[in-house]
Amino acid sequence: MPEDKRAERRDKESGIKRRDFLKIIGVAGGTAAVTGACSEPVEQIIPYVIPPEGVVPGVPNWYASTCRECPAGCGIVVKNREGRAIKIEGNTENPINEGSSCARGQASLQGLYNPDRISSPLSKNDKGKYEPIGWENAEKILAQKIAEIREKRSGGKAVFLTSHVAGTFGNLVDEWMDALDGERISYEAFSYEPLKEANRLAFGIDKIPTYKIDKADYLLSFSSDFIETWLSPVEHSKKFSQMHGVKGKSIGKFIYVSPRASLTGTNADEWVSIKPGTEGFLALGLANVIVNEGLSSRSIDGLKGILANYPPDKVSSVTDIPVDAIRRIAKDFAGMGSSLAIGGGVANSSTNATETLIAINILNYVAGNIGDTVDFGDTLSISDVNTFQDVSSLVSSMDDGKVELLFIHDVNPAFTLPKSLKFEEAIKNVPYVVSFSSFPDETTELADLVLPDSTFLESWGDYAPRESVLGLTQPTMKPVFNTKSTGDVILSVSGRVEEIKDRFKRKTYYDYLRDSWRKVWSENSVGVSFDTFWNDSLKRGGYYKKVTPVQLSLSSSVNSFKFSGAEIEGQGDYYFLTYPSYRYYDGRGANKPWLQELPEAISTGTWDSWVEIHPDTAKKMGIQLGDFVAIESTHGMIQTQAYVYQGIRPDTLAVMIGQGHTSYGRYAKGRGVNPVDILPVTTDKLSGGFAWLSTKVKASGVGKRAQFVQTQYTTTQHDRIVAKTISLNELKNGIQHEEHHEPDFYPPRKYANYRWGMAIDLQKCSGCGACVTACYAENNIPFVGKELVAKRRDMAWIRIERYFEKADNAAGFKTQYLPMTCQQCGNAPCEPVCPVYATYHNPEGLNGMVYNRCVGTRYCSNNCTYKVRKFNWFNYKLPEPLNWQLNPDVTVRSKGVMEKCTFCVQRINYGKDIAKDKGRDVRDGEIKVACEQACPSDAIVFGNLQEEGSKVSELSHDKRGYKVLEVINTQPAITYLKKVTWDKA
Amino acid sequence: MKKRIRLLSAVVLVLSIILGSYFYNAESSDKGPVQPIRFSHKIHAQEDQIPCEYCHSFVDVSPNPGIPSLKKCMGCHQHIVGRDVEYDFDGAKINIRQEISKVRQHWDKKEPIPWIKVNSMPDYVHFTHKRHIKRGIECSQCHGDVASMDQVHKVHRLNMGFCIQCHTKNAKDEEELARLKDCLTCHY
Repeated sequence: MPEDKRAERRDKESGIKRRDFLKIIGVAGGTAAVTGACSEPVEQIIPYVIPPEGVVPGVPNWYASTCRECPAGCGIVVKNREGRAIKIEGNTENPINEGSSCARGQASLQGLYNPDRISSPLSKNDKGKYEPIGWENAEKILAQKIAEIREKRSGGKAVFLTSHVAGTFGNLVDEWMDALDGERISYEAFSYEPLKEANRLAFGIDKIPTYKIDKADYLLSFSSDFIETWLSPVEHSKKFSQMHGVKGKSIGKFIYVSPRASLTGTNADEWVSIKPGTEGFLALGLANVIVNEGLSSRSIDGLKGILANYPPDKVSSVTDIPVDAIRRIAKDFAGMGSSLAIGGGVANSSTNATETLIAINILNYVAGNIGDTVDFGDTLSISDVNTFQDVSSLVSSMDDGKVELLFIHDVNPAFTLPKSLKFEEAIKNVPYVVSFSSFPDETTELADLVLPDSTFLESWGDYAPRESVLGLTQPTMKPVFNTKSTGDVILSVSGRVEEIKDRFKRKTYYDYLRDSWRKVWSENSVGVSFDTFWNDSLKRGGYYKKVTPVQLSLSSSVNSFKFSGAEIEGQGDYYFLTYPSYRYYDGRGANKPWLQELPEAISTGTWDSWVEIHPDTAKKMGIQLGDFVAIESTHGMIQTQAYVYQGIRPDTLAVMIGQGHTSYGRYAKGRGVNPVDILPVTTDKLSGGFAWLSTKVKASGVGKRAQFVQTQYTTTQHDRIVAKTISLNELKNGIQHEEHHEPDFYPPRKYANYRWGMAIDLQKCSGCGACVTACYAENNIPFVGKELVAKRRDMAWIRIERYFEKADNAAGFKTQYLPMTCQQCGNAPCEPVCPVYATYHNPEGLNGMVYNRCVGTRYCSNNCTYKVRKFNWFNYKLPEPLNWQLNPDVTVRSKGVMEKCTFCVQRINYGKDIAKDKGRDVRDGEIKVACEQACPSDAIVFGNLQEEGSKVSELSHDKRGYKVLEVINTQPAITYLKKVTWDKA
Repeated sequence: MKKRIRLLSAVVLVLSIILGSYFYNAESSDKGPVQPIRFSHKIHAQEDQIPCEYCHSFVDVSPNPGIPSLKKCMGCHQHIVGRDVEYDFDGAKINIRQEISKVRQHWDKKEPIPWIKVNSMPDYVHFTHKRHIKRGIECSQCHGDVASMDQVHKVHRLNMGFCIQCHTKNAKDEEELARLKDCLTCHY
């Protein structure tokens, strides 16, 4: 019997055919699916029991406050929806940052909602394990401990180690320590003692001035990374963009002198590579030229003697800078209008840091900048922190058992101090250590009692970063965890200690703070009642006042000053440069995944550390990108991947500070290396500040390689000229505006009231990445982690493209940054290839992306000219409570869906909604998209191209304007303004 | 045998299509979810003539209409304990006073009442009550005659067809129609 017949018979016998069976199953399944789809999941609505005042569900509330991610003290406003802080923006009222913010400020929300925060008070038990104990118990234990120590009077003292707490909290701690016969030590890893000391020696004022970068036409930075971490980066970015942006037909000039071209350095018109530690000699050499050529406006007779020792040829041989470059810079510095020299880069502070800065002071003085671009009226309070010497003597008194009780608040010395100082050994000799840290960091792990502080977004406080600003901090939401603000804990614990109880009248820190502001109110005689003053200050984010600049003259003692070179220890071939990361600052940013995933501007590396090596050095060592390199000082060894970079001297290796945590939560722990670990304890001779650049190291490949995880693997534009430039001469002589009008088969699109567009000024963009992080925060963009970034699956809607192009300058290359995002094309290549009409052109010129239509073919991404579309390869689940940050106005995308920049359509719709309430159209500047709002350089302008006279439509017709890859006729809505380059002198 | 199976399949197929389309398109006739407290919209909105906006007070200022807080309930029910009578709540027999006492119990414990959502939008739809109310659209146009319901149930399946139909009918001009039919009006 043939096989098929046999099968037929089998079917007949069983009564049902296989094929029919499948049919029935199919139909039944289909029916089940159809009917099943009708039952929707049960959702609950939980109303308030008692509604909080002023809260309307669905409408955001904004609270003004002060950012505490670094000592700059920018003003912020925090968006709160339904009781949760979901977005941070700069406070336009605050004179420091004037509405802008940086990536770190944006990411502070991920500190607030960090899943690894300490959720309640902990006490270490006999086995060395932490146990939760509850606040009542914790405070009782601490009060008891204090009473015990007071009774013993063994001579050991109490020390409160905290960060720079200028303001009421500092006063409270002082008062408390006074009651306990202890002392407060304010420790900042980046503390600028040399800057303060140099000003004392040169001008008789031990303060740190504010620098009016915007007023300068010529800016000379000696290793100051002023748009990254130096003093007040957001303020400096803003002022720098004003100084360096196109004004009419001119721009300011910026020269960066340093062994390494940092992010700040790559923004310079000229990077001058200098031998590490010799910046002071260059400053003196420049002053020498200025004085000898009679370019100085000041009476400088006394200086002539000292400057005579530094003729250009001698300086040239010390600094490795050609004589003609020294002469040229000196002449420009004195001759190009207002000038400013800044110095004191944390990274490059060596044993002669103060001397270097005195030399820079002399240079500023001879050029007439003091009182002009250097403002000693509005001084910075960061100069009040304790010196590194204070901290190291604290460590030795801890080691000697002279500290009975140590409080640690808002600092992480076990991570930021060099291992060779032996902080961790010393703390073991302190009988009782109390930490107020919110996070389980390296120092907190050494504490006996942990009383977790609320973050600055959850508590009351104030902070005075400078003379003119007293910023207020207010709770922008209820504490996420069972934490308590340290001010409240101090007052509450004091109330439990019999002897000191009477010294503290107030029960809560809020009342204490108000008392302190009552003083501010009476001192400044503002002419309104206190309550009005208080409420007004809360609304504005603080109290701001005008401070007049101070004129100072150079102290005559400088005339006989002796300048010396840097003392560098170690036997190796390479200077070891450790620099503060603009993403992690001193390491406190490393637990925030947005900052980990934000590509570092130069390498575009993420989630790791690396060492920057010059191509020649790499060749000599036989090293390529991604090879592991062992770096060895006399104090230890670190191993990390190599990034080959032409912006560093061949005799120098650079590693950023901030990674290499051994604790500090899941996002920070075990990631990268901490270069501070191998630094010697060396101080600046005059100020006692830590000398960061003080050792030479040995380095060699270890024969291991891994993928260097970065977001942009190419460094050049491959002649496609995505980021365009024009020379200053062209700008002055008038250029032909490139406006392509290719013949088009289709008639041009018509728009009614709105066509949304954007202009990005490449002359202003510094590549800092604030826009990228702001976009993550606003648009619920998931971070994907190192493994997926390695597979090019990062989800950023806006990226900073960076290009190093060969150039005819001393450095041999020039850098260009270009923020790239969806161009909202008028003739978008993505649209016609979508099989389900999920992406389309909307009547207002937006390239719409409808998630619920998308079936994930990814054709659009393949066809996108700008490669700005991102595909959700997975569902990215955020651990509780990081998901509390999600913006409820934006859909959280799921697996299999394409996404991209929407021009913050939720903000457009919100803006139109508000305008409609008022019965009119949206006005220019009313809608600010997230990237534009954050940008500290004001490089991004968003608006309506249909509105004549709107800022964006004017910029879109600017002479410098062009569209990226215009020849493809995609008709983008984003106009880029070309970067301006100086013609070679 | 073969014929019988074919017939059976055909019947099942036809039935499933009819049933499926019925369930899919039904302007839901079910009674809606049973709420934790038998709150009667009929008593409040029809008999007592309380306007919708009294309780759903954010409806003209926010995308969300707002569900009254427990405090708002207690604003009246501090004084109104309710009739001690049996009431026919859509077929279920309840005692009004007993139901109101449940509100008081929640208040005493300061626990919110976990209401069950009747009309729900998927997360990828950004509907705003404010604009619709400001345009003068009646609540009942989408929610049905809630004032006549004891237990609120869904009257219209609030799917996109429902939205677009209304938008098409009511647009003032071509330009407004283009905007009202634009995906990005609701989907982002």
